[in-house]
Amino acid sequence: MAESKHQYAFFLGCIAPNRYPGCESAAIKTSAKVGIELLPLKGAGCCPAPGAFGSIDLNVFYALAARNLVLAEQMNMDITLICNGCYKSIWEVNHILKHNDELRDGVNEVLKEVDMEFKGSIDVWHLAELYYDPKICGVNKLAASVTRPLTGTKIAVHYGCHLMKPGKERHFGDTENPMWIDELVEALGAEAVQYRNKMQCCGAGGGVRGYDLTHSLDITNEKLINVTEVGADAITEVCPFCQLQYDRGQIEIEEKFGKTYGIPVLHFNELLGLAQGMSPQELALDLHGIDCKPFLEKIL
Amino acid sequence: MATEKNYGNPELEAKLRDRYLYTDDTNPEFLNDVKKVSRTIAHMCYQCGTCTGSCPSAPRSSYRIRLFMRRGVLGLEKEALNDPDLWLCTTCYSCTDRCPRDIAPTDVIMAMRNLAFKYDIVPRNFLKTVQLIYTTGHGVPNNDVNRSAREKLGLSRDPPTTHSYPEFMPGIQKIIDHYKLKENADRILAEEGQ
Repeated sequence: MAESKHQYAFFLGCIAPNRYPGCESAAIKTSAKVGIELLPLKGAGCCPAPGAFGSIDLNVFYALAARNLVLAEQMNMDITLICNGCYKSIWEVNHILKHNDELRDGVNEVLKEVDMEFKGSIDVWHLAELYYDPKICGVNKLAASVTRPLTGTKIAVHYGCHLMKPGKERHFGDTENPMWIDELVEALGAEAVQYRNKMQCCGAGGGVRGYDLTHSLDITNEKLINVTEVGADAITEVCPFCQLQYDRGQIEIEEKFGKTYGIPVLHFNELLGLAQGMSPQELALDLHGIDCKPFLEKIL
Repeated sequence: MATEKNYGNPELEAKLRDRYLYTDDTNPEFLNDVKKVSRTIAHMCYQCGTCTGSCPSAPRSSYRIRLFMRRGVLGLEKEALNDPDLWLCTTCYSCTDRCPRDIAPTDVIMAMRNLAFKYDIVPRNFLKTVQLIYTTGHGVPNNDVNRSAREKLGLSRDPPTTHSYPEFMPGIQKIIDHYKLKENADRILAEEGQ
């Protein structure tokens, strides 16, 4: 058992725990193997969804995200999370409130009604960036945790939007052709394939999936074409909402557009779980809309 | 944009007339409202079109983010807020990353959506999310299939969120009620249902 040196409050969000619980379980188990301990953030709620909530009232968006942040401040612990949408809400609101006194005072006035105060005492991280950070884990340590290399598989990385963009406010460097998650994938023994328009959105965000499903799926379909073109065996992402859009979206695309892809979609934590020897059952891969078998046959 | 300048000189009036926009249907405060909510320098837009060129929604619809940027600068509030294309932005922030003026067009869209909501202009799906969060704490709540899957994984049937700790729900509801968001969502949905 690896020694736990790095502890974080694990912010779950909605789609991981309530639709793809394998992502949650994989995050807890895979991170433990590289010395990261995830503790439950009791009483957390929706981040809230940046598209759905931010679109109609940004003030509520700030206040609800701040409530989640205060729960972690009360634990005196940084937050880590596994969803780009949650990252936009939780990281960004933390960042804004730390730097904008007017907004912070406004939020704190509302939080007073629920006996809370945003202090700005913690930081927020995506678990993928902790894996990449050599001070916490790093590519080499991650590679060393692999017991079942994903040799011979081609993986298309979907970075998603809300982790790295807008790049000017974030700290991930190049947002036009990033490679750091590709490096994480290659640390598992797989080949990270490059494909056309890699940084394009999955199509789900901004409330568009709920507002105009066919429009949203048409964007997804374009990405699926590009990923198929380079012969990817699977798509990996770091966002359960992107995962839902690609995974359940392929079923909807078949229904609405008559096009079939059958490309397995795995969250990076699920992929890492497989590479660390977890079974498909331990990852609840049977809950995925698209059968992961063709991919699993290559590695098991 | 004045259509009548009242210079009292028909010749000058004809020479100097505004050639670009003839509408009284503008709100000069619109741009300031957009800037206030978005906290971005929307007035700096020089209409280069990089935003529309970067937009994944543009090639498959009539949505043009550059048009919304222009509407903001010109104060065309009604035109902007009543256009159903306003809701086709996936908020991918590609335009924001590439804007040569360092504007965040994505945040301009978000601000316009916030302003539209003040006039009850909002698609239903957004309101349903409000209702879900108000009642469960989650935008996507748990269900029985997922509960048994969680159990098999050795996780608690409900995650350690508001689902397991409902005592945190009043806090969430108070925050939402402070802004009358649930009240407005219920009212708009009820009116639309008629």
